[in-house]
Amino acid sequence: MFYRLSGVYHTRYSQTRQLWPIPADRWQVGILAALALLAPLYMSQLYLSSYLLPWLIFSTATLSLTLLMGLAGQLHFGFAAVMAIGAYTSIHLTRAGVPLELALLGAGLMSAVIGCLFGAAALRVKGLYLVMATLAMQFLVDWVIINVNAISGGAVATLQTPRVSFLFVPLESLTARYYLALTWAVVVTLLILNIKRTSFGRALVAVRDKDFAAAVIGVNIFRYKLLAFFISSFLGGVTGAILAFCFYKAVTPSQFNFDVTIQLVAMALVGGLGSVIGGFLGAGFVLLVPIVLLNLIAWLAGSGWLNISTSLMAHIPMMLYGAMIIGFLLFEPLGLAKIYDNARKYLLVWPFRHTQS
Amino acid sequence: MKHHDLALSRRTVLGAAAAASLAGIPAWAQDKAPIQFATLLDFTRVYTFLTDEYSQGQQDYIKLVNLEGGIEGSPVKLIIKDHASYPERGIAQYNEAKAAGAVFFDFLSSPVANALMPRANEDHLPMIAFAHGRADAADGTAFPYVFPSAAIYRSQAAILLKYIDEKEGGLKGKKIAFVHIDSAFGKEPIELLERMAKTKGFEVKLYPYPVPGTEQAATWSEVRKNRPDKVIIWGAGPGQAVSIRGAVTNGIAPKDIHSVLWLSESDMSAFKGNEVVGVKRVTLVNTGTNSPILKRIVEKVVNPGNGSGDKKRVGWSGYNIGVASMAIGVQAARLAVQKLGAPLTGEKLKAGFEMLKDFNAEGLMPPLTITAKDHQGGGQGIVSEWDGKQWAPKSDWASAYQDVVWDLIKEDEARAKEKK
Repeated sequence: MFYRLSGVYHTRYSQTRQLWPIPADRWQVGILAALALLAPLYMSQLYLSSYLLPWLIFSTATLSLTLLMGLAGQLHFGFAAVMAIGAYTSIHLTRAGVPLELALLGAGLMSAVIGCLFGAAALRVKGLYLVMATLAMQFLVDWVIINVNAISGGAVATLQTPRVSFLFVPLESLTARYYLALTWAVVVTLLILNIKRTSFGRALVAVRDKDFAAAVIGVNIFRYKLLAFFISSFLGGVTGAILAFCFYKAVTPSQFNFDVTIQLVAMALVGGLGSVIGGFLGAGFVLLVPIVLLNLIAWLAGSGWLNISTSLMAHIPMMLYGAMIIGFLLFEPLGLAKIYDNARKYLLVWPFRHTQS
Repeated sequence: MKHHDLALSRRTVLGAAAAASLAGIPAWAQDKAPIQFATLLDFTRVYTFLTDEYSQGQQDYIKLVNLEGGIEGSPVKLIIKDHASYPERGIAQYNEAKAAGAVFFDFLSSPVANALMPRANEDHLPMIAFAHGRADAADGTAFPYVFPSAAIYRSQAAILLKYIDEKEGGLKGKKIAFVHIDSAFGKEPIELLERMAKTKGFEVKLYPYPVPGTEQAATWSEVRKNRPDKVIIWGAGPGQAVSIRGAVTNGIAPKDIHSVLWLSESDMSAFKGNEVVGVKRVTLVNTGTNSPILKRIVEKVVNPGNGSGDKKRVGWSGYNIGVASMAIGVQAARLAVQKLGAPLTGEKLKAGFEMLKDFNAEGLMPPLTITAKDHQGGGQGIVSEWDGKQWAPKSDWASAYQDVVWDLIKEDEARAKEKK
């Protein structure tokens, strides 16, 4: 129906090889892009600052992680630490007078270098053992940040972001911060969509599926594993800096602790490993669903439908949320992205029943 | 909260009746718009050891305030949400409550409070940071809209030191072990201890244990090797009972154990018999139900069956801290409305806070005097001792070594500035 393929003829290679060869997909992307671009016009400050902005930034973080976990198959349980390195690097650089554009690059590089150091473990260990190695990174980085006063800012332990501008636009207003986050989200999205169809991306997938088989067909696994760690950590570091400058406007160690790592892994898993749209859906699910459920229960209690103590009121959304995660994963183990994909494939051949892939 | 119009104070009723007779409308129509306080707390993740009691105290006290006529006739409405100590969720809820018209905020979670302090300052909305949040918030010139309103952690450590100095045979030559959780909160008093060690001539040794504090065995065997004269424990939640267990099993007498504010009745009642009688703790708000406010809460709210939670907890440490936190806010709001007129705004409420002078919530807490500069409000507390059933006060309300505390705050600020 919407996705009708008949009548769509690609007469050039560039047409078949474009990112979205089906017109319906292009329409959807166009509408979403327009909605995102115009968000400050039609959305209240409340929704923009408390929902859309964190959603965008955490989606970007999830995408950076999914490049490593989904495409390259290297489990990483220290991604919040990677973001913390980026955030702290950028804030110290800008405080030293470096312009934000360069500070973001510096943040990315610092994260990438340190991320690679720990990623080097991936050359020797796999699976759960790699989880332990990256977990060690999380706790080591946390410990260093908390205990080195020069990094964390001493007993006060909160560093405000200084006043900065990005490409001559001061980052004071919410709109400016939103557009910076949006730009970075778009850059990362396009980057990962493109990586997936390059030889680099295919090499990563080969490494993920069986690394020695990949080595047999000539993929240099040493190089590709490290590259995956480097790129993913670079993106994560810049995202951490964006999170600090665009959303929190301050950095404290607790913004990047182990719980955040778990949240990020949950976002990648619930959304669907290795999927770009899954990154957005997963981040939205993990970040926004608890808030929506909380508000729903509070509204039910407020309007007299539900007479319960405040403590129970706070716990019911968590029970529902847990049930939802189990429910979704039972219904579709490959995540929210797969649910979207199923619907899309159904519509591609509608009114017939069989899909090709 | 519909009951408030049944028991308005006499003055308000008369005033309302007079106004109503002038306007020719019935008195109940004089219901003023409610004043909204937002208590966005962590019920589910990090602060679970405290939040239930604390919020129960807040809710019961606000019910009492509304029964007694509200704030100059306006009822108080609490917006209660769970942010689970996630800063991003706290920010979203803060924005929501702000849009709904809340003028006063309480987060009871250091990560969330720290994330919101700059925003509260920008939006001119006062927040209370009772025994949480960053230390330099005590300086009203740096954080005009943040009110710790109680002894900050450094002041609490100072109170303990002074108690040891005056009541336990002096500090000079003593070996003090500071056993603390390895987080910003746990490390906050270190600078104060080290500075006092120099001037008072005692030795302080630091023993950090890892977050979340449920595993401290290695730390305590280290402590035992060093044979300290006194031990100060600095943690919160489940780690506190573990600390006390560790101290006792390593041969430290309960009377030599001194704790930060966060050591509750439930932590202590886990121990059998007289095992831990004599443990001392800083207390910032009286426990028990003997003070007039608590008596009225029991009589008017809890006994008629309108309490917000388990009856047993009424009068516990956390409960009373909740009552005190709201009592401070309500009193500030009352002063603001009296002096500056309704409707209450963030700016007026800030001025109201800074009008608080020797306010002790009818004996529930030490006299609190907040000025434009001092948002800590004097930093007074007492040391109390566990007698097997409850916390018995062992000293009078007093502050300790405030000059050193403020020197450190100023140094923090200078350090933060030079980095900008």
